[in-house]
Amino acid sequence: MTSKAAIYPPLPLPNEMTQFFWDGCQARKLMILRCKGCGRYIHYPRPVCNGCLSTDLAPAEVSGEATLYGYTVAMQAFHPYFADKLPYTLALVELVEQAGLRLTTNIVDVPEAELTTGMPVRLVWREVAPDLVLPMFTKAAS
Amino acid sequence: MSDNNRVAAVGVGYSTTGRRTGLTSRQLAVQAAMAAMTDAGMTPQDIDGATMLWAVAGAAPPGLDVVDSMDIAYMLGIGPLNFWNSGAGPAYIGPAVQAVAAIKAGLCHTVLSMRVIRQRLTTAEMLAQDTDANPEYADDDRQFVMPFGSVAPLQAIAAMPAQRHMDLYGTTEEHFGRHVVAQREWASHNPDALFRTPLTLDDYFASRYISKPVRLLDCDYPVDSASAIIYTTEERARNFAKKPIFVESTAFSSVKYATFENLDDIYENSPVHCAKTLWSRTDLKPKDVDCVQLYDGFTIIVFQWLEALGFCGRGEVGPFVAEGHTAMGGSLPLNTDGGACNVGRRHGANFCIESIRQLRGGESGVRQVPDAKVALWANAVGPFSGAMLMTSE
Ligand SMILES: [Zn+2]
Repeated sequence: MTSKAAIYPPLPLPNEMTQFFWDGCQARKLMILRCKGCGRYIHYPRPVCNGCLSTDLAPAEVSGEATLYGYTVAMQAFHPYFADKLPYTLALVELVEQAGLRLTTNIVDVPEAELTTGMPVRLVWREVAPDLVLPMFTKAAS
Repeated sequence: MSDNNRVAAVGVGYSTTGRRTGLTSRQLAVQAAMAAMTDAGMTPQDIDGATMLWAVAGAAPPGLDVVDSMDIAYMLGIGPLNFWNSGAGPAYIGPAVQAVAAIKAGLCHTVLSMRVIRQRLTTAEMLAQDTDANPEYADDDRQFVMPFGSVAPLQAIAAMPAQRHMDLYGTTEEHFGRHVVAQREWASHNPDALFRTPLTLDDYFASRYISKPVRLLDCDYPVDSASAIIYTTEERARNFAKKPIFVESTAFSSVKYATFENLDDIYENSPVHCAKTLWSRTDLKPKDVDCVQLYDGFTIIVFQWLEALGFCGRGEVGPFVAEGHTAMGGSLPLNTDGGACNVGRRHGANFCIESIRQLRGGESGVRQVPDAKVALWANAVGPFSGAMLMTSE
């Protein structure tokens, strides 16, 4: 399967509920929507808190500390951008702020043999394409 | 369930099935519907309901025609309809549950329920796209996953849960391989299967990784296909050609939202909820099940269902499969048609049809489970799923 390396991965298409997240990435701040009533974080963003049903929500910056919840080492590309990025580690990390609060991300700069479910990871920023900054994670110093 | 308001399946049928058949969606649907009516010994005038899911699982090749349940009724001279629905998902369990519910509610008496699925774009076709000239935009919740390379369903549906199951419970790649080999053995005896050559564990380990630990042989096989099952009331069921097979219990579940990437643990996902509901609606127990047909889009989905339904303990599915319980001659015959990995991605309908054929008896050759009276089939996984328990009496 030959194809020229693509510059762009699938690009986020923000809407009025999600623009803050991508503005935060450009500023290298990880912002998650949070309920002002009960303090619960809501991700993916929704217009109501599913804990207390408050609609008074606002983005809040989180620490970037997390644990590795799930991961896979991708060996095949399904989009031209990833054809020359293999293998890459797709992951789900759980942010320390709240049980069950998880982000899809990539783990970078960690050898495959060191990946383990539950390992502590920390936020790093990567500009993967012009004007596209993504929150990724790497092994946290123990 | 001993009420006299039971629903029965009385006809089953498939279209031509294969890669890029050259047939339109309408042609595929007509083939399957006519096969099911012929199987039941039924005419279009016997039918007053239609449910269907038409969808491509993934990116669609250009130019496909769409068929819906009103159109299938129009084409075949069925109607007027007392109940219909198109786009009921996920997989075939959607149209099946809707058919059963509509009959139980008295909205109609006999429903043609269908799944029509077209082969998605191949990987080569996806990679050939010029995505810089025509960028792919990820909207809604997909914007939080696709930029990171979560672009193929198997990565989130299968690879991450499989890796987690391995890390937490000691499940091994050999366990996955044992399932793949056992399932192919069933397929080797099924004339409808697209893959019939027996496999060894070495063949499994020689199969390339798609996303670790998922290998090519863990994945079902995308095809063009239509499947049809006809349900009716218990009262009418005995008027038709084949032995009626009864719906003993059914359950339909969703948890969280309809994306796979950010789900909770396997043990909090919809199959667990669905299984609890299914068993709560019957006096039957897992030990009463003679054969089980579980969605095998990817191997780990089968493993999740085996645990969720209580056929083995939490975290114990790997050894359970490796001990041979689900293979030919085992205590729990599983995917006795060979599963979607081998008969093609008929998107859940094959599990229903195989259950019905096993319970009728005499239609499965050497695959026949002796004296099969209770079959269980389940579809989908993760945020949504459904299951049905069927009996021959
Ligand atoms: Zn709240």
